Amino acid sequence: MPLKWVLHWQPNAGSTVNSQILSEVSQCVESINGLKQGRWKATLTLYKPHTRVPEPSMAAEFPRDFLGVSVPEQPNKYYFIIRGQRIVLEADSSIQTIMEKLQSYKTRIALNFDGFQYQLGDFQLRVGKVSPTHSENLRGIVMEVEYLPISSMEKARQIMGEFLEIWQEAVSKRSLPGQFMHIEPNFAEYGLADHYTSQHTAVQYAIVMAQLIATVQAVQSVRN
Amino acid sequence: MECVVQGIIETQHVEALEILLQGLCGVHKERLRIHEICLKSGPNLGEFMYVYFFLICLKSGPNLGAVASEVRLLCDLEQPEPTWTVRHIGGAMRGAGAEQISVLVRTMVESKVSKNVLRLFYALGYKLDHELLRVGFAFHFQRGAQITVTVSSVNKMLKLHATDEAVPVTPGIQMVEVTAPASAENYTEVVSAVSSFCEYLAPLLHLSKPGISTGVVPTAAAAAASLMSDGGGTTL
Repeated sequence: MPLKWVLHWQPNAGSTVNSQILSEVSQCVESINGLKQGRWKATLTLYKPHTRVPEPSMAAEFPRDFLGVSVPEQPNKYYFIIRGQRIVLEADSSIQTIMEKLQSYKTRIALNFDGFQYQLGDFQLRVGKVSPTHSENLRGIVMEVEYLPISSMEKARQIMGEFLEIWQEAVSKRSLPGQFMHIEPNFAEYGLADHYTSQHTAVQYAIVMAQLIATVQAVQSVRN
Repeated sequence: MECVVQGIIETQHVEALEILLQGLCGVHKERLRIHEICLKSGPNLGEFMYVYFFLICLKSGPNLGAVASEVRLLCDLEQPEPTWTVRHIGGAMRGAGAEQISVLVRTMVESKVSKNVLRLFYALGYKLDHELLRVGFAFHFQRGAQITVTVSSVNKMLKLHATDEAVPVTPGIQMVEVTAPASAENYTEVVSAVSSFCEYLAPLLHLSKPGISTGVVPTAAAAAASLMSDGGGTTL
């Protein structure tokens, strides 16, 4: 499958993300001739253990970064990630029903990533807002950049880098208070090879989630 | 949901059962070699069942853990590259209606997963409860429902995950299981289809709800001899 990079919007220090930025980013894609194609959606759930004793004392026993992800290209699959232990698991989406029945973990945070998809030559862009499942509150902005002809992460590295340079230049003209960041995980640590799969996407979403939490915590610490 | 019945048969009659099943199903058997790993949540993990907790507290004091949740990981060793499935078996259907039927109807959910599933569940705090190796064959066919019949010897491992050194739990006895997927809308038809099919196997073995062992049937030897002599020519 074609490889992709998942980027997140990193606000400048002291600023926060807002819907105006999302609107400007979408306009920016269209200004470089991105052809709007339709909507896309991914979901991300952060789980916490169902423990009988207070959770802090269980910190060492259970993972605090247990995530479930559904990605747009594989609607019948679901992915579990434990970032601390570098585990990514691919499962049929019925695994969510099994987890509910086991009642050992429950949802701590559920987020939707949704927005519009654009075609730009051999590239496919998905720009979306991050919001809690039952709310419209904007918590972040993500962008997927997919390069359709290539599946090798290594072979596509140069062209992806060049595309991002062009993109960052286009966005910078709008003087927005922040920029898109790409953090490439060490996929080999998760047992993933150079050939791109949806498990690579799930790991990237886990990284984006960690960055969103870090950003929210940074803003809160400044306010306090 | 699934409908399920189980029974046992002496290994010496398994060949006759295979001939009978071949004639009944009209499909070829599939070889079966499943490594089954049963995991349970640790003592501090899982939903609290308050009513149960309260009753036990009355008897033994409040020092009770949460009720363990159980999940099975199945590794299909017959595939060129072993495949993994997570299976959760839930509670059986209850009530007067459920008591009267001879087939168990229970919730069952499966999900195919990647091969690192055991590592994930260990990381989540699950512990190994026991593991088994099922070796035998299966028939999958449509007869009023999508029925699966498995005939297998159940083996235990003497060393952790050592499937090559497994030994039978009950030498000379094999387990037979008939299952069919069902839903809340159609389970009565599926129960009926499974019951009807089981009647054809009656001379060789008796099938009943899991946990209700009825042992081997006295007519098995004669039925097996008859089947072996006519080469499974009996058709329905």
